Amino acid sequence: MILLNGKEVAFVPGQTILELAQAHGIDVPTLCHDERIEPYGACGLCVCEVKMGQASAKLMRACATKIADGMVIETHSERASRSRRFVLDMLLSDHTGDCVAPCSLACPGGTDCQKYAALIARGEYHKAAKTMKDVIPIPASIGRICPHPCEKKCRRALVEEPVSLAALKAFGADMDLQDMPFVPDCAPNTGKRVAVIGGGPGGLTAAYHLRRKGHEVHIYDKMPKLGGMLRYGIPEYRLPKAVLDKEIALIADIGVQMHTNTMLGKDVTLDELRKEYDAVVAATGAWVSSRMRVAGEDLAGVFGGIDFLRETALGDPPAIGKTVAVCGGGNTAMDACRTAVRLGAETVYVIYRRTRDEMPAEQIEIEEAIEEGVQFKFLTNPDEICGDGKVQSIRLQCMELGEPDASGRRKPVPIEGKFETLAVDSVIMAIGQKTDFTGLEALETTGRGTVLADAATFKTNLDGVFAVGDVSNKGADIAIAAVGEARKAADVIDAYLNGIEIAYEKPFVCEKEVTAADLADRAKQGRAVMPVLTPEERRHTFREMALGFDEETARREASRCLECGCLDYAQCRLIRFAREYKADPAPYAGEKNTRKKDDSHAVILRDGNKCILCGLCVRACDQLEKLSAIGLAGRGFTTEVGAAFRVPLGLSNCNGCGKCVDVCPTGALYQKSEGKKNVAVDRG
Amino acid sequence: MFKIMVGQGSCGISAGAGKVYEALQNAIAEKHVDARVSVTGCIGMCFLEPIVDIYEDEKLTRLVCVQPQDAAAIGEFLQTGDERAVARLKIADEDSAFLEKQTRIALRNCGLIDPESLEDAVAHKGYAALREAVTNRTPEQVIEEIKISGLAGRGGAGFPTWFKWNAARQSEGSPKYLICNADEGDPGAFMDRAVIEGDPHALIEGMLIGAYAIGAQEAIVYVRAEYPLAIKRLEKAIADAKAAGYIGAHIFGTDFSCDFRIKAGAGAFVCGEETALIESLEGQRGMPRLKPPFPAQSGYWRKPSNINNVETFANVAWILQNGGAAFAAMGTEDSKGTKVFALTGKIKRGGLVEIPMGKTLRDVVFDVGGGMRGEKNFKGVQLGGPSGGCVPAALIDTVIDYKKLSATGAIMGSGGMVIMDESTCMVQMAKFFLEFTTKESCGKCVACRIGTKRLSEILTRICGGEGREGDIELLEELCARIKENALCGLGQTAPNPVLTTIRYFRDEYEAHIREKRCPAGECAALVKYAIDPDKCRGCSLCSRKCPVGAISGEARMPFVIDDTACIRCGQCAEVCRFGAVQKG
Amino acid sequence: MEQKSDLSRLELVLAQYRDIPGSLITVLQKAQAVYGYLPEDVLEYIAQSLNIPAARVYGVATFYTQFRFQPVGKYFIELCKGTACHVNGADTIARTIREDLGIGDGETTEDGLFSLKYVACLGCCSLSPVMMINGETYGSLTSAKVRDILSQKRKEAGADV
Repeated sequence: MILLNGKEVAFVPGQTILELAQAHGIDVPTLCHDERIEPYGACGLCVCEVKMGQASAKLMRACATKIADGMVIETHSERASRSRRFVLDMLLSDHTGDCVAPCSLACPGGTDCQKYAALIARGEYHKAAKTMKDVIPIPASIGRICPHPCEKKCRRALVEEPVSLAALKAFGADMDLQDMPFVPDCAPNTGKRVAVIGGGPGGLTAAYHLRRKGHEVHIYDKMPKLGGMLRYGIPEYRLPKAVLDKEIALIADIGVQMHTNTMLGKDVTLDELRKEYDAVVAATGAWVSSRMRVAGEDLAGVFGGIDFLRETALGDPPAIGKTVAVCGGGNTAMDACRTAVRLGAETVYVIYRRTRDEMPAEQIEIEEAIEEGVQFKFLTNPDEICGDGKVQSIRLQCMELGEPDASGRRKPVPIEGKFETLAVDSVIMAIGQKTDFTGLEALETTGRGTVLADAATFKTNLDGVFAVGDVSNKGADIAIAAVGEARKAADVIDAYLNGIEIAYEKPFVCEKEVTAADLADRAKQGRAVMPVLTPEERRHTFREMALGFDEETARREASRCLECGCLDYAQCRLIRFAREYKADPAPYAGEKNTRKKDDSHAVILRDGNKCILCGLCVRACDQLEKLSAIGLAGRGFTTEVGAAFRVPLGLSNCNGCGKCVDVCPTGALYQKSEGKKNVAVDRG
Repeated sequence: MFKIMVGQGSCGISAGAGKVYEALQNAIAEKHVDARVSVTGCIGMCFLEPIVDIYEDEKLTRLVCVQPQDAAAIGEFLQTGDERAVARLKIADEDSAFLEKQTRIALRNCGLIDPESLEDAVAHKGYAALREAVTNRTPEQVIEEIKISGLAGRGGAGFPTWFKWNAARQSEGSPKYLICNADEGDPGAFMDRAVIEGDPHALIEGMLIGAYAIGAQEAIVYVRAEYPLAIKRLEKAIADAKAAGYIGAHIFGTDFSCDFRIKAGAGAFVCGEETALIESLEGQRGMPRLKPPFPAQSGYWRKPSNINNVETFANVAWILQNGGAAFAAMGTEDSKGTKVFALTGKIKRGGLVEIPMGKTLRDVVFDVGGGMRGEKNFKGVQLGGPSGGCVPAALIDTVIDYKKLSATGAIMGSGGMVIMDESTCMVQMAKFFLEFTTKESCGKCVACRIGTKRLSEILTRICGGEGREGDIELLEELCARIKENALCGLGQTAPNPVLTTIRYFRDEYEAHIREKRCPAGECAALVKYAIDPDKCRGCSLCSRKCPVGAISGEARMPFVIDDTACIRCGQCAEVCRFGAVQKG
Repeated sequence: MEQKSDLSRLELVLAQYRDIPGSLITVLQKAQAVYGYLPEDVLEYIAQSLNIPAARVYGVATFYTQFRFQPVGKYFIELCKGTACHVNGADTIARTIREDLGIGDGETTEDGLFSLKYVACLGCCSLSPVMMINGETYGSLTSAKVRDILSQKRKEAGADV
């Protein structure tokens, strides 16, 4: 008899500790062991605390230690865990790679851009849509309007230009919508009920993910249709509402119930919802235009930016006249000025107190606005709106740039006594948005007038009430930020409904530095240009201005992806254990081995930078395939795995059997599908 | 008739003994003296090489630091018998004490016999113990005698030799192998080389007795490739022993047969670990195997195998001849017999020292070794090489005994003993060893492959003035984890030099980290050079030698070093004839 | 493969060891003695002849520090980096060699005259610091002594030409 974690258990002679533990359902981690291959003992991760007789307890490798009668074994003692953590710290300190591609890390929603791009390159659009919809329920919409932080981190920019990830998202999602669109499976009904207030990107996303987890979900929205700012803030020419409708319909298809024209605080109260539902998600957004605090703001003909866009979307655009001044430099300002053009304004000014370089709006939006005839009045600030009951002109204070401010942008300072006056029929204030608190009065607020929610649990001060998106914390942000928060919140809320308290924690990932020099060998292939309507056409129509990629262009564009993210991330045992044991290699940061990726073989891709020298591939090649095409070379810290004479694998006698790939615990080895873009393996 | 022995171990040869030997032969031929010049191994007084021993019957005249041009004087002495001719070459009395204070068992014949002569060995009782064992004793009786002697593994771990022999004897499986680990990897130890170069037959005989005891049919010596002379002499000894029937079939007419061969290592410290050594013997990368199974059950070619080190075997014949009890009479409760140390570093009389267990470190360093070479104070002694540790001056009275030495954090080890004075930086010392183990790590297990690398990086940054608060604790944590998780002895002991230097010289680490100061003045990045204007004569030599032009001045006026340009190479201090360049 | 080595020079060695299991390291040592280093085609040939996968032969050859894969210079300097030499200033000697010849561990001078290799211990600790040139030991080194020895060697080589 022996004692295994305090329990008396029987054993079979010849059995190892690892085998015994497995037989009792105990997961002892190992990176270098495979039951088909002789024990090797390299990783040292499987150490367990073993006591025999009077001798003091020792750490022994479970994979290789045969059970002896009388052993007292602790598989998860503090000492064993500490030793395992050390091993993982060491391995990670010499492990170079990106678990997740930088685009994905940059996406507030964590969308797997690399994977959907690869699937698009392969023409597998439904799978691409499924990948997107693991995060975003409305990718065709988001793909059209997202300012794509992903592309700003795309390493293809080090070669020439970033991959057109947002447009590809729209393309892939559109293709999916064409026939038999992807519909996710939902878990069996849990009997739990959730109310989501607000049907914008955040609300829709929360509802979608909670529904997938089997809960009954109801969305309440004050507007006639769902979509929130995507519908009422984003102009038609950027996001045709027909696309949004299709995507929302698919959410309804999985059983999310939608209650429109239902205003919180009026038609339904927070209290009622709390009583009726097991959890409530506040996702009401930021629907109040900020005021500029200048004289004349209350004159007729002065409009809030989002109010102007909403009314236009509702089919009842305000009378703006022939000459319009739009104040502000963000994307709302761009939407407003370009909408004004399309509504027939002859002269549209954008009043911005800094210069073009400092504008927060996307550069492409600015360019397109200029093409459409918008006139930019840089370094001017509204001083007074003049008129007699109705707007007649706007007086601008001329500015110059001074010292950089906290945001790093140079601060505009007024040039004393220098003013300019523009005759205008209307003024649109697009300088920011605030939260409408109606119905949410019971919630604690932040200093900036938003709902205070815990950054990791999304909890408000009321039990069971969560808040995501623009309504909470730092206020208005881009749509994908609300999507990301809502997805994370869905996990927390799901746990809450099951009586468990969890908090979102940014998962540990390995990242690496890449410079242009590292990519110098890549052939240049410019970014696909999105075909658009001509400026002349655009001035007169709300038709979608982007015409979309054709299939060939999209697939070629998608294949530009450099595949930065690890293709084996989902099944990597190293990262799994690193998280389980809370590894942190930072204190031990030092020299790392750098090796060239070997893509010479038809079906096997080797990235030695991710190799942890467990030796499994070499032993699989020796013992299972009896080929010995690869071996260990060198010794010590710089030992590496490879074919004889360090020739590329493609020039060796490797037969591509793939046994090495099967046993590799990390992403150092990957089985390619010949002639196709590589797609990360799914969770095993 | 004179018998002249010229010490020609590797160290003697390095010091020029070969040329002395030739010159002597010429001188003798010239003067027509009745003398025979022959070669002997290292007597252990390396600091006096080349050494020439002149025997006239029993009378010994020992000449030291002999140069080829001294041959004429020696010839004259041989011709006339007038000692005045060689008076200046005669060993000083205090140097003679170096040998007199030792007790030589393993080294009993080193420096006394011609290692290339079987007759000489036999004349010194060579192979008598083997004959007695195979003809008069059972293997069990041999093992019993070794048990009585208390002989323990001299390679470092100190495991009882009889126990290993018995385990291999009891183990089922055939054939069995007896292996000698002569892969003396500790970079500062040369006991094994001296034994093989000086008395190869002692090793062969000890191994054959071992082979008889465990029932092995083949004996193999795994020797470092860096020891060409040892290999050459051992090859000749094996050939001679074979020819004489001591090796091969039916040794001394009995049923005991044993083959014998040498396998040269190829440069890997880890092959001192027994399972790595076996892998290497099988023609593989020297990466340790998992234990168990132990070599006694499954070793070379997965057959029962026994591995001992050179010094262990060199004691065996003596034990059988003199009885285990005589051996056990020396030493302490749990460490019996003698131990050979290679005494080096900042020591006055460096060389091989064999003394009984139970003596103190002070006995070796001061009594035998004569204390410090130079004026600096004794700081500590490094024992056991990369697996061992630094024992500080305060513990100089520690008794030489496996347990007592382990208690200091060092180990007995194979016997490397490096003496350090105040100019030795202990952080550098730890860095030196960790760089060594990093380089020598086989790379199989994570703890050693990456752990030792990280240790040396942290030590490097401390020595480079980039140490951070918390680095000492980080080192300690790493050390503790490596010791627990490493697969083999190399990794498990690799942290010892760090742990012992932190334990005894923590203030030095702190000075490096907090004050960016190297108390020993060894860490280049933390040292500053300045010219003392009172001593500088303005000769400009330093200025001309400075590789970066950091020194300027006018002739016959004091020169100045530009500290911002100085690369701390120290050449100025080296060349200054007036001691004007101060290091601080 | 670039080199074309005279493989027949290995026949004797292979004949002697082909049938003795575990002889790979010995064969590699003998081959290095023949060719001065281990050219790729020689390793390839050894692998074939001993029926050992080339990847394993390469793995063994690159594990041990004794084996070289490039020809060495006329003068092969082995600089001892053992403990005693360390304590007595081997680093200064290494620096002097670098200054004088411009080479570090494992490198060969452009003129092919000198190669330098750091070795763990030559076992001549009492003469530390020590170096060995083509098997001959030079002990109790100082920077000045090293420079003299090297210039002596350079002169010798000049005289040979």
